[in-house]
Amino acid sequence: MTYESLPVYSPSQINAIVRQILTEALPERLIVRGEIRDWKLHHSGHCYFLLKDQQAVLPAVMWANNFRTVRFRPADGMAVLATGYLDVYVAGGRYQLIVERLEPEGTGALQLAFQQMVAKLKAEGLFDPAKKRPLPRYPMRIGIVTSPSGAALHDICEGIQGRWPVARLLFFPVPVQGEGAAEQIARTIRWINQNKDRFALDLLIVGRGGGSLEDLWTFNEEVLARAIYDSQIPIISAVGHEIDVTVADLVADARASTPAKAGVVAVPDVREVLDQIGHYCSRLTNQMVSRLELAKAQFAAASASEVFTRPLTMIRSREQQIDELSVHLVDTLRSRVRRTVQVLDHYQVFVSRIEPHRLIGRCALAVSEARARASAAIASILAASRCQVEALAGRIQALDPRAVLARGYSITRNAGTGRIIRSIKDVELKDTILTELAGANIIESQVTAKYNQIRSVHGSDKQQGTG
Amino acid sequence: MAQTNNKELGKLSFEQAIEQLRKIVERIEQGQISLEESLQQYEMGMALIKHCRAILQQAEKRIEMVSTDQQGSDQMPSS
Repeated sequence: MTYESLPVYSPSQINAIVRQILTEALPERLIVRGEIRDWKLHHSGHCYFLLKDQQAVLPAVMWANNFRTVRFRPADGMAVLATGYLDVYVAGGRYQLIVERLEPEGTGALQLAFQQMVAKLKAEGLFDPAKKRPLPRYPMRIGIVTSPSGAALHDICEGIQGRWPVARLLFFPVPVQGEGAAEQIARTIRWINQNKDRFALDLLIVGRGGGSLEDLWTFNEEVLARAIYDSQIPIISAVGHEIDVTVADLVADARASTPAKAGVVAVPDVREVLDQIGHYCSRLTNQMVSRLELAKAQFAAASASEVFTRPLTMIRSREQQIDELSVHLVDTLRSRVRRTVQVLDHYQVFVSRIEPHRLIGRCALAVSEARARASAAIASILAASRCQVEALAGRIQALDPRAVLARGYSITRNAGTGRIIRSIKDVELKDTILTELAGANIIESQVTAKYNQIRSVHGSDKQQGTG
Repeated sequence: MAQTNNKELGKLSFEQAIEQLRKIVERIEQGQISLEESLQQYEMGMALIKHCRAILQQAEKRIEMVSTDQQGSDQMPSS
C-alpha cells in the first residue's frame, strides 16, 4: 500500500463532506433536549452555549433574529428543548446545533412568558376592575383596529351591523402579528386618543382572528397592554378563539371571546331599542289618553254642578244659611248672658248670709272661754308645783345637819382654823375648840388631853379628847 | 316652549334623548304632575321619540357610507 494512492483533501473539502454527511444523516429540523451550560449573549445579539446531558455536550448557537422571539430569559442549568438543525462551522472545524427556537422544558416558553407578564401587570394594577371604563350603551362611532387582510375585520363589522346599523365604523388597519406589530397597534391606539376630537369615537375594538400562541403573541406584549390601559376611549378586545386569553383581553375594558362576538359586546340590538321606544310611545299615549278622559269626566261633573246650573239658588241658600246662623248667634249670646246672671245671683245669696256681727260675737265668746280655761289650768299647775316644793323642803330639812343637833349630837370646831374636828389630829393640846349644840348654842373650851379609849385599855398614856 | 325644546332636541345624542324619554314616561306614570304639565311632557316625549327614531333610520344610510369609506380613506398615523 502506497501513501501516494491515498486521496488528498483540503480542510474545506473535509468540512464540506462532513457537513453533507450530517445533513443527509439527520432530519432537516430536530429537537435536542438538554441543559444549558456556558450561556453567553454576545453584544452582537447572537447567543453561544452548550447543551449538555450526563455524558456529553453539544455546542449550540442561536442567532440574534431567532433569539428575539424567545420570551423567557435562558440561563445556565435550565432544562430546555432546542429546535433547529445541525451544521458545521467550517472556519472553526466543528459542528454545532443552530437553534431557531428555544423553550423551557415542562411549560412552553410562551406560556411561561405569558404567566410572567400577567403576574407583572396584575401587580401594577392594570387589570383592576375599578379602573375599567364603562362601555357606552349606544355607541354611535366605533373604531376598529385590526389587520386589513384577516377575517377579523369582516367578522367584527358583520357583528355590529347585524345588530346596530346605527354606528359609524372607522377602520384603522394595523399588522397584528410579527415583530413590531404590538408597537404599531399601541401607537395607533395612542394616536386615536390624541385625535379623539377629530374621530369622536365612543368605543374602540382591537382584535384579530385565531392563530397559534405565537401568532397571538402581539396581544400579550407589554407595550400594547399599556396603550390599552392608558386609552381614554373604552376598548373591547376581540382576539383569537374562545379559549385564547391574552394580556390585551385582561387589560381591556371588556372582552369579546372572538371577533365575531364583538358586536354582541359592543352594541345593542336595534330591534330591541326600537321596541323599547315603541313601548315608551304607547305608555306615554295611554297615560295621556286616560288623563284626558279623567279630565273630561271631571269637567262634566263640574259643569253639571249646581253652581253652573242654578247659580241664584246657590246664593239664596247661602243667604238662608247666613240668616239661620245669625239667629242662632243671637240666641246663643242671649242664653249665655242669662246663665251668667244666674251664677251671680247665686253667689249674692251666699254673700248676704255671712252676717259679720254674729261672727264677731261668736269669736269673743270663744276667746273668753279660752281665757277661763287657761287660768284654771295655770292655777292647777301652780298648786301641783307648790305641793312638790313642800315635799322637797321636808326632805331637805331631814338632811340638815343641825336637825341632828336637836337629838343630842354636837359639832366641834377648832377655833383657830375654824375647821370641823374629825380626827384627833385636827387639834393640839391647849387649842381652843368650839362645840355647837342645837339652837345655835356654843360652848367654848380648851383641849387638855388627847387619847384613844380603845388604846387606853391596852396602853398607859391617856389623852383627853372630845367627840 | 315646546318649540324651543324641539330645537334643543336636535342637539341631543341618542343616549341623552332616550334617557330623557325614560324619565318623562316615569314622571307621567307617577301621576304627580298637573294636566297641563303632563300635556307638555307628553309633547316633549313624542318629540323625543321622533328624534330617536330619526337617528336610528338616518344611521342606516351612514352605514353604507362608511362601508365604502372603509377601504382606504382613513389615514394611518405617520410613525
